[in-house]
Amino acid sequence: MSLIDIQSLHFSVPTGHIIQKRKTILNDVSFSVKQGTSTAYLGTNGAGKTSTFRILCGLVRPNSGQVIFDGEVMRQGLPPKRFGFMPEHPYFYKNLTPHELLTGLGKLSGLSSQGLPQIIDNWAEKLDFTQVLHQRLSTCSKGQAQRVGLAQALIHQPDFILLDEPLSGLDPIGRACVRSVIQDEIKRGATLLFSSHILSDAEAMCDQVVVLQDGSIRYAGDIHSLLSPDAKWLIQAQGKPVWAQYSDLEITQTLDGTWQIRGANMQTRDALLQQLLSSEDTVLISVQTEQGTLESAFLHLLQSKEENDASHS
Amino acid sequence: MQAILNIAKLSFADAIRNKVAYGVFTFLLLLLATASALASVTMGRTELMILDLGLGGISILGNLMAMIITIQSLQQERESRTLYVLMTRLQGRWKYLVGKFLGLAAVLSIQIIIMCAVLAACIDFFGQIFWLSFVQASLMTLFEVYIIIAVALLFAQSSSLFLAILLTLAVDISARFTFVIQQLGEQSENLIVQGFTQSMYYVLPNLEAINLRNQAGYMAHIPWHELGLMMLYAGSELAFILLIASLIFERKNLS
Repeated sequence: MSLIDIQSLHFSVPTGHIIQKRKTILNDVSFSVKQGTSTAYLGTNGAGKTSTFRILCGLVRPNSGQVIFDGEVMRQGLPPKRFGFMPEHPYFYKNLTPHELLTGLGKLSGLSSQGLPQIIDNWAEKLDFTQVLHQRLSTCSKGQAQRVGLAQALIHQPDFILLDEPLSGLDPIGRACVRSVIQDEIKRGATLLFSSHILSDAEAMCDQVVVLQDGSIRYAGDIHSLLSPDAKWLIQAQGKPVWAQYSDLEITQTLDGTWQIRGANMQTRDALLQQLLSSEDTVLISVQTEQGTLESAFLHLLQSKEENDASHS
Repeated sequence: MQAILNIAKLSFADAIRNKVAYGVFTFLLLLLATASALASVTMGRTELMILDLGLGGISILGNLMAMIITIQSLQQERESRTLYVLMTRLQGRWKYLVGKFLGLAAVLSIQIIIMCAVLAACIDFFGQIFWLSFVQASLMTLFEVYIIIAVALLFAQSSSLFLAILLTLAVDISARFTFVIQQLGEQSENLIVQGFTQSMYYVLPNLEAINLRNQAGYMAHIPWHELGLMMLYAGSELAFILLIASLIFERKNLS
């Protein structure tokens, strides 16, 4: 069941000063986010990810199209108490401490004053910013501000979590910590939509992927369906090169003389395996499947669009 | 209502620690220096001269601080993306503007009360004045500052930092000369000029209408019904400016 349905969003902004032109940011963007899933919203810089998030938050209005949340058309952004939002590079009030900020935002989200200090302490511990909890935000590092930003988005335990680049500016330990907190939220039953340029992290955190290019959707669906076309097999063998008759293979030899044969065609793999097993001059060492990474699938997807565009023109 | 109060608390806590807020200490130092200088050169009622200078200074500094703190606060919230986080927690953007206004008004009220208290102590050192009219004039100075905060909110949410300061300053200065603007229009034979000056007269808040600084200390007190009318006028102006600001803010794309 879809928690969010985004239908035919069109969004453009005026450019120029005297003669007004319009630049299209989103062009007929439609996708849905299923309840309890984690969806990575990917795209190059300027693809329109942040604009989509701002429309979902009700910060900007689309020229046309609509957002349906839990069966209801949203006219002014998502319902405040049911979703949490973390913008990209948040810095917040530099004169306040994270504790003061989270208290204020927690109350704005409808949490009662009594339990709030305990909730804040728990989040500070989970996201590892206890040591700066009572220091001014101006003294916090970028990574610490990022963790505070995540805490404010999650403090009221929303059904839907919207995170714009949650992992940027974090060191590897910070990224692992944030990833684990996000995974806990998904286990709790929250639905997540996030953007990220760190595709290895995105791959570890999501089960759905939406790829945006130049304001249009290039792919929306399951991550495994996106990765499987890229899947390759790898055979390691030693001895006489019986694979020479196959043309579509990538063959390398290591220093110890082991041959590494890579291919994508499964029929070729089966035929080669039969040949290797029946030949007395060759020794089969291993057979593996090499699944493509999200990064390679993402690049492949964008490049194929560019090639298509070039051939059309 | 709870949401408005929470926004007001956050804005208050941030603005009270703003370095611009320490302008109050600059005023106090200047006041003490001026008072000592005047005491040595004037003959007669030094306390009345300190009163005139002090109330004028509080008005100018209060308005400048209102302008800078309000515009800076709004711009910083936009740049730090705090505004986005707040907006996603509110149903109705007007709540943000009203909360912001209340928080900043509280900060500036504290500063103006401190300045007025020190001024009163200074005056008391040199002599006696009519204290009730002094309190009434100080109260109306507060309303003047509230109107400037509302004007600054109107411009800060729809223009850049520099332009917002320039426009608020322009309104602050013109609002002291609305009567002169109207008279200029009446003297002109050009209908366009007449129409323009007439509309400026009605659109701009009339800060001179709530200025009691000239009477402060000289009159025993300003009649209460007059004071009531002035407060009613200031309150209506405030509500009108905040309404316009909210209407613009509701329709604005926050990108």
